[in-house]
Amino acid sequence: MTAPAAPVADPAVRHLTGAMSRSQMRSVALPSLVANWVLLAALFAVGVLYASGGSSARDLLISDLLINLVLVLGFHIFIGNTGVLSFGHLGIASVAAYTMALLAVPSERKIVLIPNAPWGIPEIELSPLVASLIGVGVGVVVAALLGFVAARTSGLAATMITLAFLAIVRQVAENRKDLTGGAQNLSSVPRLDGWSWPLLGAFLAVMIAVFFRSSKTGRLAVATREDELAAGAMGIEVFTPRLVAFVVSGGLVAFGGILRVQSLGSIGPSQFSFEFTILILAMLVVGGMRTVTGAIAGTVFITVGKEVTRYLGDGPDLLGISLPVVDGLPDLFLAGSLLAVLLTRPNGLLGEFDVGSWLTRRFRRPQRAAESSDGPDEALDVDTVLAVPAVPAVPAVSGTGAASESGALTTAGLGVVFGGFTAVDDVSITVAPGRIHGLIGPNGAGKTTFVNLLTGLVEPTTGTVHIGDKELRGAPYKRARDGVSRTFQNLRIFPSLSVRENVAVADLIAHDHRSHRSAVSVDDLLALSGLSHMADRTASTLDYGNQRRLEIARAAALRPDFLLLDEPTSGMSSSESLEMVDHVRRVASAIGAGVLVIDHDLGFITNICEHVTVLDQGAILAEGTAEEIQRDQRVIDAYLGSGHG
Amino acid sequence: MDQRQHGMILEIDRLTTRYGALTALHAVSVHVAPGELVALVGPNGAGKTTLLSSTVGLLEPAEGTVRFEGRDITGFDPAANVAAGLALVPERRRIFKDLTVAENLRLAGTTVAKSQRKQRMDEMAELFPALRTKWDLSAGFLSGGQAQQLAVARALMSSPKVLLLDEPCLGLAPTMVDVIFALLDQLRSQGRTIVVVEQQAQRVLSIADRGYVMRTGEIVAEGSGPELAGRSDLFDTYIGGS
Amino acid sequence: MTQFVQNLIDGLGNGSTYALLAVGVSMLFGVMHLVNFAHGELLTISAYVIYGMRSNDISWWATIPVAILSAVMLSMLIEFVAFRRVRTASAFTLLLTSFAIEILSHAAWRIGVSSTPRRYTAPDIAFKVVEVGPFNIEVWDVVSIGVAVACFVGTAIMLRTTMFGLSIRAASEDFDAARLMGVKANRVISGAFAFAGLLAGIAAALWLVRRGQADPRMGAEPLLKAVIAAIIGGLGSLPGAVVGGLALGVAEVYFRSWLPSDLQGLTDSFVFVLIAVLFVVRPQGLFDVQSAERV
Repeated sequence: MTAPAAPVADPAVRHLTGAMSRSQMRSVALPSLVANWVLLAALFAVGVLYASGGSSARDLLISDLLINLVLVLGFHIFIGNTGVLSFGHLGIASVAAYTMALLAVPSERKIVLIPNAPWGIPEIELSPLVASLIGVGVGVVVAALLGFVAARTSGLAATMITLAFLAIVRQVAENRKDLTGGAQNLSSVPRLDGWSWPLLGAFLAVMIAVFFRSSKTGRLAVATREDELAAGAMGIEVFTPRLVAFVVSGGLVAFGGILRVQSLGSIGPSQFSFEFTILILAMLVVGGMRTVTGAIAGTVFITVGKEVTRYLGDGPDLLGISLPVVDGLPDLFLAGSLLAVLLTRPNGLLGEFDVGSWLTRRFRRPQRAAESSDGPDEALDVDTVLAVPAVPAVPAVSGTGAASESGALTTAGLGVVFGGFTAVDDVSITVAPGRIHGLIGPNGAGKTTFVNLLTGLVEPTTGTVHIGDKELRGAPYKRARDGVSRTFQNLRIFPSLSVRENVAVADLIAHDHRSHRSAVSVDDLLALSGLSHMADRTASTLDYGNQRRLEIARAAALRPDFLLLDEPTSGMSSSESLEMVDHVRRVASAIGAGVLVIDHDLGFITNICEHVTVLDQGAILAEGTAEEIQRDQRVIDAYLGSGHG
Repeated sequence: MDQRQHGMILEIDRLTTRYGALTALHAVSVHVAPGELVALVGPNGAGKTTLLSSTVGLLEPAEGTVRFEGRDITGFDPAANVAAGLALVPERRRIFKDLTVAENLRLAGTTVAKSQRKQRMDEMAELFPALRTKWDLSAGFLSGGQAQQLAVARALMSSPKVLLLDEPCLGLAPTMVDVIFALLDQLRSQGRTIVVVEQQAQRVLSIADRGYVMRTGEIVAEGSGPELAGRSDLFDTYIGGS
Repeated sequence: MTQFVQNLIDGLGNGSTYALLAVGVSMLFGVMHLVNFAHGELLTISAYVIYGMRSNDISWWATIPVAILSAVMLSMLIEFVAFRRVRTASAFTLLLTSFAIEILSHAAWRIGVSSTPRRYTAPDIAFKVVEVGPFNIEVWDVVSIGVAVACFVGTAIMLRTTMFGLSIRAASEDFDAARLMGVKANRVISGAFAFAGLLAGIAAALWLVRRGQADPRMGAEPLLKAVIAAIIGGLGSLPGAVVGGLALGVAEVYFRSWLPSDLQGLTDSFVFVLIAVLFVVRPQGLFDVQSAERV
């Protein structure tokens, strides 16, 4: 154990550690932004070439594509980053667009079309720009209200509520003739000609999407998408990132809707229909809903495909054969490609691929080009074959090894009853700060339930949990922020995020909520875990042992007072378990945390724990040192049965 | 080795099953002769449940084979295996709480001809008098011991030649454990072949013909039941004491 | 008072259609954990079959069974071609897949037949009104309610007494445990889709006899309401689906009659808002069906 340093790290170091991870993100965001912009510009150039060879219909196609891209990126910001399906976004766009239209349509037209509109609307006439800004503002407010409801409820309920919202907006637009002109289109909306605004809008949308994704809120939202339970255990609250994502996406969609209406020159309820929602969703999903590049690719793919099928459906003469006229071929193409992708490649044609990250990986370490993160044959990787993590000398990082001044982790009479069944019965244990305490017991003894009680996943029937004098209560994310961090029996990493990002999101939370504790940087934690050379790999491609170590590194990055490890050696061989002993010790002392380990492997427990508690049938059976426990006949009986019947 | 394989009713050969990155079973081989009671012991996470699930077809193994009565049944659907006479009593019983006791049994007789089904159900009522009193009660009201009996009764409905039981004594009071062990004896005397995973290692090994000890996806010891039960280092082998 | 009773019957008549659809939706959710938005397309195919047969002057007595059969077959086809492949996919993918099938079906009808509605004449009984005391009762409402009740009773009997029904109930509770009992996974799922298709076909017949036209997108709105009804009742709960469907039908009629005339077109919106509030207050629906997650 290293000598304890000052309990609160030097503020400069703390700031530097936090800022470093943020500048790392900048170094991810900017390349992604530039790369996607370049991609967009290149595609636009191709589009211009195509349009110059034809009628104005082609020009319209290009500007439609760009405007659709704005909408798709708006959808992406919420749906792609949170994994929650929303159908309501075009409803937000509709409200925003109607606001703009009602303010910007010339008075003399309004007096004719909607003379009875309330609030003096026929008299108002604002410039298109001001009206658009107000429209986006209204859209953001509506998004905040709808988002509040959607973010509070679970996946399916949120989807249904947004679907209902879309239907309601449409109904209101169709029925409040006085206000909106009804089902007929309200014309004379100030027109936007040409590509300049759509192109600007598309570039802006890419920028907002990229920056949101690499912002703190965006990264937290993505973590909740990857694994909501694990995110909560890392101190991430689900509601706020989802709400913010919804509001930002709502604003962008509002902007897109306004652009659309202005390019058409009129507005009507049918422009924000369910069918159009499906079109945008298809563009989002077909390319890959999780990345900006995927959104761009999907939009282009669907648009081009629809054009080609429309052309074919008009019954042209092709290679001397006269094709029949088929009405509705583009819709068939749309639904068909959406279905095909969902059935075969649900993550989209491009999956997790982002042009920016790909280029960064290619050019930052050209010699590592062979180890691309989506390579399936990681078995060929020398490191994984040997399964020996390259452990460097423990870095001398200032502010490490400080046992927290938090006080002990104590449970007093903790228990829970499910139905008639007492799963955990009056368990009181104490884990001293900086100590490693073991919890063992046969299958079904209640160990994991106990950990769930400690971390707030399950509400106790009796008893309390304290760290020092402070009682731990509330949802898991609160307890995580209060100093208890955990790993899961079934291993819950964030599978599609990089190794580094898995750890970095926990560090983000620690930076905000656990700044009073000394920090070990993300890079140092990775080095400690032997994961430095795989830091950019996708977490799901790691072999099992490394995934376990990653989960522990992530939990450590939260700067907890106490680390709860739920069967960290499950599935490991004896030699791997021995390595895990070293690893857990190293990490725990580096972050100055006490540890509560649940495991079956007595070899592991003996080596690592100073003090062991044995649970059987939900209650404490025995306590003592590992040697004492191993010789205790009651414990042997509990595990092996009490001899012959 | 080859001689032993002759006449095996169940042969599991180098079975490997994976969950994502985790290899839960690593080239595991188990042989069971007709009429034997084979015990499978080991700590949690050893892969015992994975082994039984892979055998009966609930999980698809990545490598290796399962042979039942000489036929290769690797990766077969559980329904087919039940119909052929290989049944699993799953861990934690998994009875249908929304169905009555009788309905649980009736459903378990789905592979049996209708004419025989009623008869079998009567047999179960005979064998498990505790269930008879709760026949039309929702299975959610059964106690742990009764639920376990129902789980076994269900598996018996298809009159299996080989019965796999995954931790039948889990969470049961000692008196109920006695009942379960008595039941195992009874089943064995009926000529059925039994493979039982059990937490109560000493006890089950002492009544077993043969046993296997598993840890971290592998077999670490095998031998006759009494021989394994008598090992002084059993606990250490079991739990990995250094 | 007379208005109240007449509205009630009218609402129950409509609600019968929703309830029949909702039971199918709930049943499919129980077995597959999938909210099947493509279910509405079974209404559409029934409509086009009716149109096709009626324009060839085939009697209603022959047309209706064929229409119902077509719903069953399409339901099984959809399961086989699409849902079988994505059985283990995420909830997101499943949901979006069902929407994709819905849209594909819309497009297919548009191309295969026409986007303009195809009309057929309704039989006389469809609009017949009888006077019972002070009430004017639409005969078809009574028929709908009667048929629907018969279906619910039939479904309950099927679930309680047949092996197939038992399999569905078991599979809804614990799919893998059902397989261990010898239940064939594919059969129980196909069967569930077939049965749900049967109920949808009957619902279609009740609705379409009065509707008089077939168009490509007609299935979407009733299906949305059926899904809402199923969710209100608690997904997976069949009694819940019945209650939800009937309640929704009644609520619609009452809203329509209470709303002032200028807000008439917003009936659906009011109902939706009411439901959204219900979701927030009690997200698991009226009849809670448990589901657990293992950590």
